Amino acid sequence: MSKQNNKKIIQEANLETSHQITRKYFFKECFSGIGAMALGSMVGGCDWLGSKDSFGNFTNTNPLMAHAPHFIGKAKSVIYLHMAGAPSQLELFDYKPELLKLDGQDCPQSLLDGKKFAFIRGVPKMLGPQAVFKQRGQSGAWISDNLPHLSTVADEISFLKAVQTDQFNHGPAQLLMHTGSPRLGRPSIGAWVTYGLGTENSNLPGFVVLTSGGNNPDAGKSVWGNGFLPSVYQGVQCRSEGDPVLFLKDPAGIDRDLRKASIDAINEANQLTYNEFKDPEIVARMAQYEMAFKMQISVPDVMNINDEPAYIHEMYGTHPGKASFANNVLLARKLVEKGVRFVQLFDWGWDSHGTDVSNAVDIGLVNKCRTIDKPITALLLDLKQRGLLDETLVVWGGEFGRTPMQENRDGKTLPFKGRDHHTEAFTTWMAGGGIKQGSSFGETDEIGYSAISGKVTAYDMQATILNQLGFDHEKLVYPFQGRSFRLTDVHGRVINEIVA
Amino acid sequence: MESIIKLIGHFHPLWVHFPIGILLFAILIHGLSSWEKYKKLEAALPFTYLIGGLSAVFSCITGYALSNNGDYDANLIFKHQWLAISVAVISILGYVFIKIHKAVYLKWTAFVLLILIFLTGHYGGTLTHGEGYLTKGVFVEDKQVIKNKPLIPNVQEAVLFNDIIQPILEEKCYGCHSSIKKKGKLRLDAQEWILKGGEDGLVLHAGDPLKSPLYKNILLDPVDEKHMPPKGKPQVTEQERRLLEWWISSGASFNKKVKELSPPSNMQSVLLAVQNNNGPKIQIQAIPSAEIGPADQKVINGLKKMGVTIVNVALNSNYISANFITVPHANDTISDLIKKINDNVVWIKMPGMIFNDPLVNVLADCKSLTKLSIENTNISDKQLAILNDLHELQYLNIVNTKISLNGLMQLNNLKKLNQLYVGQTNIKETDLARIKTVFPNATVNFGNYNVEKLITDTQILKVPQKK
Repeated sequence: MSKQNNKKIIQEANLETSHQITRKYFFKECFSGIGAMALGSMVGGCDWLGSKDSFGNFTNTNPLMAHAPHFIGKAKSVIYLHMAGAPSQLELFDYKPELLKLDGQDCPQSLLDGKKFAFIRGVPKMLGPQAVFKQRGQSGAWISDNLPHLSTVADEISFLKAVQTDQFNHGPAQLLMHTGSPRLGRPSIGAWVTYGLGTENSNLPGFVVLTSGGNNPDAGKSVWGNGFLPSVYQGVQCRSEGDPVLFLKDPAGIDRDLRKASIDAINEANQLTYNEFKDPEIVARMAQYEMAFKMQISVPDVMNINDEPAYIHEMYGTHPGKASFANNVLLARKLVEKGVRFVQLFDWGWDSHGTDVSNAVDIGLVNKCRTIDKPITALLLDLKQRGLLDETLVVWGGEFGRTPMQENRDGKTLPFKGRDHHTEAFTTWMAGGGIKQGSSFGETDEIGYSAISGKVTAYDMQATILNQLGFDHEKLVYPFQGRSFRLTDVHGRVINEIVA
Repeated sequence: MESIIKLIGHFHPLWVHFPIGILLFAILIHGLSSWEKYKKLEAALPFTYLIGGLSAVFSCITGYALSNNGDYDANLIFKHQWLAISVAVISILGYVFIKIHKAVYLKWTAFVLLILIFLTGHYGGTLTHGEGYLTKGVFVEDKQVIKNKPLIPNVQEAVLFNDIIQPILEEKCYGCHSSIKKKGKLRLDAQEWILKGGEDGLVLHAGDPLKSPLYKNILLDPVDEKHMPPKGKPQVTEQERRLLEWWISSGASFNKKVKELSPPSNMQSVLLAVQNNNGPKIQIQAIPSAEIGPADQKVINGLKKMGVTIVNVALNSNYISANFITVPHANDTISDLIKKINDNVVWIKMPGMIFNDPLVNVLADCKSLTKLSIENTNISDKQLAILNDLHELQYLNIVNTKISLNGLMQLNNLKKLNQLYVGQTNIKETDLARIKTVFPNATVNFGNYNVEKLITDTQILKVPQKK
């Protein structure tokens, strides 16, 4: 009886274990079993469980180690300023005097036939520019009075006036802008760049995200996600109010040596598991423990804008302790100065539909402009005087543009002046990082409805950003599910017209 | 009949090589036969001269046929034609001299013939391949001359034709419509030629682009025979097309400035794209032009272990960039390691580094260095002087240091230094003239930027009160 019982118990234990063994583990064990040794060694030789990438940047010891790009890049880091909600190009950079003449008239049917808008229904009225425009600087770029400070540095900037997208909802359009796909699951551009170049400062994350305006972007955290890249490359979002990073102090009774010892022990155990399963996520976890340990020292210094001199606060218009875009911009400069590769800023609240005062193109939008104008201007000048503008690419833009027609949500007249989402033409700009100074590319028709020359897409912008960092966007790839993926998928052209 | 002449003309490029080869051979025989050993060859001389002469005559005929239907520069044709005729005449003359036993003249005949053949050949080559073909791209100086587009610092001040339109014509049209070739009897390389037009009449109707073949033919379907530039040649870009269109529609002026023509708003962005206001273009070479072998991987790994971010500047380069941002104290181990790879290091970032003399000496040994960032450091004037041998240095950032004007001026050996960042030092903007005496080509950034304070910065716009 006891024999039979023992047998039963062992059987049950075996069954239990087999439940726990993962499919991957089972197959791997099979292959390394004596019976299947030949087969196992064959398949094992293909490194079929391990992650193998053609660029060869993912190492299991230090996934964030600095790497050489394909060719010598002009830029070493990127600050991407995304105005979430899509700012109106017609009130900022795309001056259309013809549109003013049509103000209040019915939109011609030819502009509506076969088109789909997010909210416009029936026949909307045309809406003239709700801002005063002037030509600025030597380059004569048109910038509206909504951005008086930026107007003074127009000669540093290259405008892209005919950017197009095929997504008219915020989430998908933001994803397209940052991951090269309107659907979830692709790595963001910051993740690609960190995967390709690693970080210059091993004590800080390579890719930092800061948000302002009270909300995260509509597409959620996927716009700075790692997609199928190892998660060590995802953007690290810092808090926008109070301490940027929490829990930097060790708990009482735990000194730094003990913390180091415990992290080492945990990582040793993780290393054993990695050796067995080759799951890159284990390495990512190990790297993140290490990073967190280092950040306890480095972060309080870098992330603290209190100690910046008064003239800097004056310049940026910053108020330490308050959540603001200005504070984030100053932080971005500090991070880039310390060697962080990619800093992404999202500022929410640019969706100027005209449904209430905060999103009226002639009121709310003006107030939004006032929160970004000074800090962005200060950023360009501050980078310049530190000798960093040449190697820091600054990108500004939204996810799409806004219609030359006034929004008439559900066919009704809205209480304020506003514009609907528009995919066919909008303006973005780049500066520094080997981009031409005081230049402009692309053009829209007389009323700013469609792009008529120099059309570019999100893919083209991404290809250009990678190009400035020294990458051939067609060669920065990662193998996943049987094929090599890249940020620009099968698209993308470097916009050489704005490259110095 | 015309087509037969045309066909005969097309044999010219083939046929010309016969007289060249045969006559050069005749001259060779002539030379050799003065040697006792090759005396026998003399017997072949009259025959080679005769055949060479006759083939030269036929070459002249085919050449004349070609010049009738070709579109070549008349001046060049004239030279080539008469030189070729003299070759034919003189070679026949050579045959006659031998036959009438006046061999004494033959020596001179051969000499003159040799020169004439080379000259004729040269002009023939110039006709087909274009002026300067012989030396094009052979000498380095020539390379820089090619594609030297005019600099347009401010597009409003640019002369529309000279600065913007002519470079387009030069790039896209001169290949067939200039002194080199005159396809369709049209030249576009000067105002008078453009106004004169080609065999089909005027190409430019000022004020009306769509009536001007110069513009209209660009719009034709690429498969159309009249489409310009012809299929397979570099095409006119969208931006160039719009510039041409505006130039013609605004009256095709040859001397007016852009601002005098008051460009319409839809031309602004196109014009802006032409602008190139980077000032005199200082070519910043990121790395020295000399090749270098790979650095010792062990040394690199050693430096990585010490916390230095060290990486090749690109996958295809052995030059190295080193960033000491996480290493504010470079100890002796680090110094020793850098010494071992000093020739490979081209970019160094040492912001906030705590310098001592030995460390500065290590830097001074990195002779390939092109970029050095030592902002926010304690480097002194005396230490900076040690760096006066970094001949490749182009970029120097000494923002927020104690360096004085005299300290900077010590670097008078650094001829390539062209980017200087000196904000928050003892060097002031008023020193620029003196800095320029040592670094004439440098752009010097003094910082001290300020963003003006406006009342609107902090005001919040509200809904206007209705009355």
